[in-house]
Amino acid sequence: MAPPSEEPTDGAVSPADYRTLCDLLRERTGLSFTEAKRYYVQRRLAERVEATRMPSVRDYLNLLRFQASGAEMQLLVNLMTVNETYFFREKYQLDCLVNGMLDEVVRHRRPGERVRLWSAGCATGEEPYSIAITLLERWPRVDEFQIELYASDIDSMALDRAREGVYGERSLQALPAELVERYFRPVAPGSWRIIDELRESVDFSLVNIVDPAQVRRFTGIDVVFCRNLLIYFDDLGRRNAAAMFHEALSPGGFVALGHSESMSRMSSLFVPRRFPDAILYQKPAEGAGA
Amino acid sequence: MGLVKAGSKGTLGTAPTGAAAPEDWTALLEHADAGHRRHAAQALGDRPDAAATLAARLPREPDPAVREALLTALVRIGSPEAAAGLAPMLASEDAGLRNGALESLQQMPVDAVEPQMDALAGSDDSDLRIFAVLLAARLGPAERSARLHQALERDPHVNVGLTAAEAVAELGDPAALPALEAFAARFPDDPCVAYTVDAARRRFRGAS
Repeated sequence: MAPPSEEPTDGAVSPADYRTLCDLLRERTGLSFTEAKRYYVQRRLAERVEATRMPSVRDYLNLLRFQASGAEMQLLVNLMTVNETYFFREKYQLDCLVNGMLDEVVRHRRPGERVRLWSAGCATGEEPYSIAITLLERWPRVDEFQIELYASDIDSMALDRAREGVYGERSLQALPAELVERYFRPVAPGSWRIIDELRESVDFSLVNIVDPAQVRRFTGIDVVFCRNLLIYFDDLGRRNAAAMFHEALSPGGFVALGHSESMSRMSSLFVPRRFPDAILYQKPAEGAGA
Repeated sequence: MGLVKAGSKGTLGTAPTGAAAPEDWTALLEHADAGHRRHAAQALGDRPDAAATLAARLPREPDPAVREALLTALVRIGSPEAAAGLAPMLASEDAGLRNGALESLQQMPVDAVEPQMDALAGSDDSDLRIFAVLLAARLGPAERSARLHQALERDPHVNVGLTAAEAVAELGDPAALPALEAFAARFPDDPCVAYTVDAARRRFRGAS
């Protein structure tokens, strides 16, 4: 046990406990929180310490570490992740998807074959539903192939909301009115629910993308969207995630990252590809080398 | 066709279970199938005692994804043994392996890498001394300054000094100015040195 003097009395977390918590989160989830995020982390930690009625932060950390079910870790992770997003965010990559990327993916496929897309870090679902709407509206070959759309996140509450598919005005701000009318139904003032057909076209699952055991079931993926997620990871977490995507992708498959992210700083396994609308990262086709 | 319910037909793979007992992972590192080797490398990243085994496989590993998994596993272990296993790869003729080793060492804890620094900085090979400078930039302030200033003031190869000059400029520490001036004085006819030192001076003026 640490000496009592290390336990702050003003609700703050001691430097040692803060480091322990950050190490534990990094180890279990890949999420990286630096000293600059202390206030953000501390507030959410205090909330969970109080909710679990733990006598001290140290006791709460022990609960996190040793609870067999991992339920409390999941609740804390839910609080720590940022799920602020909206439909058609960074639309240029959706443009890229239907203006060239998918045509390249299916170049050697026969009609009826599968195309697999994965929204990794889908938060409350705006991204996978945006992908689905874009495909239906703008990819002329959408009916030629069996398109499977997977979406995952580490935040179980965000996934529940994604499955429910109810959104407010803020989420829909960038959607043209005719698309709202076509793909949503009003459920309350200022609140719309995405139509069942679209909701049922996305397979949502709880996945920690740096855990090989969880990611290994994703195989033969053609496009991974992982935008503005890896900025929350440290170098090792980003490197692990890049390796997981490489493993999940088919040869020639693509990764779309956020506008401020670059694969070149994470992994040498991908080749940057410049399309008219966006820069993507491609797993080399078989025989092409890395 | 079009959008189909993903996973509803059980089309996605299932994660393999019970793939191997821990003692078998080492043997799987030598398996003919690259997927098995990659999974073995990922699994051994949980075992600090596997650092030497992972490092030994690296120079013989032909598959880029397995090589990346080996390097990532060593970063994950992050021990002095893991760094010691990677350091010899800095002298490899294989540029991919060399760069992978450098990036991995840069991502390891400082305490793990520090024991390798003297040998790298004292090497006859100027490329290794450049790597030592790049790694030194991540050390604690006192150790970092000492190593970077020494490279500026004494290293006989201009490229080692230039790397150190860029590092101190990036760090923005005006205390490096005398060492930079000494570097400029040692290579008075090299325009690249003049340009780099001048850029650093301007940066320090902006910072002060």
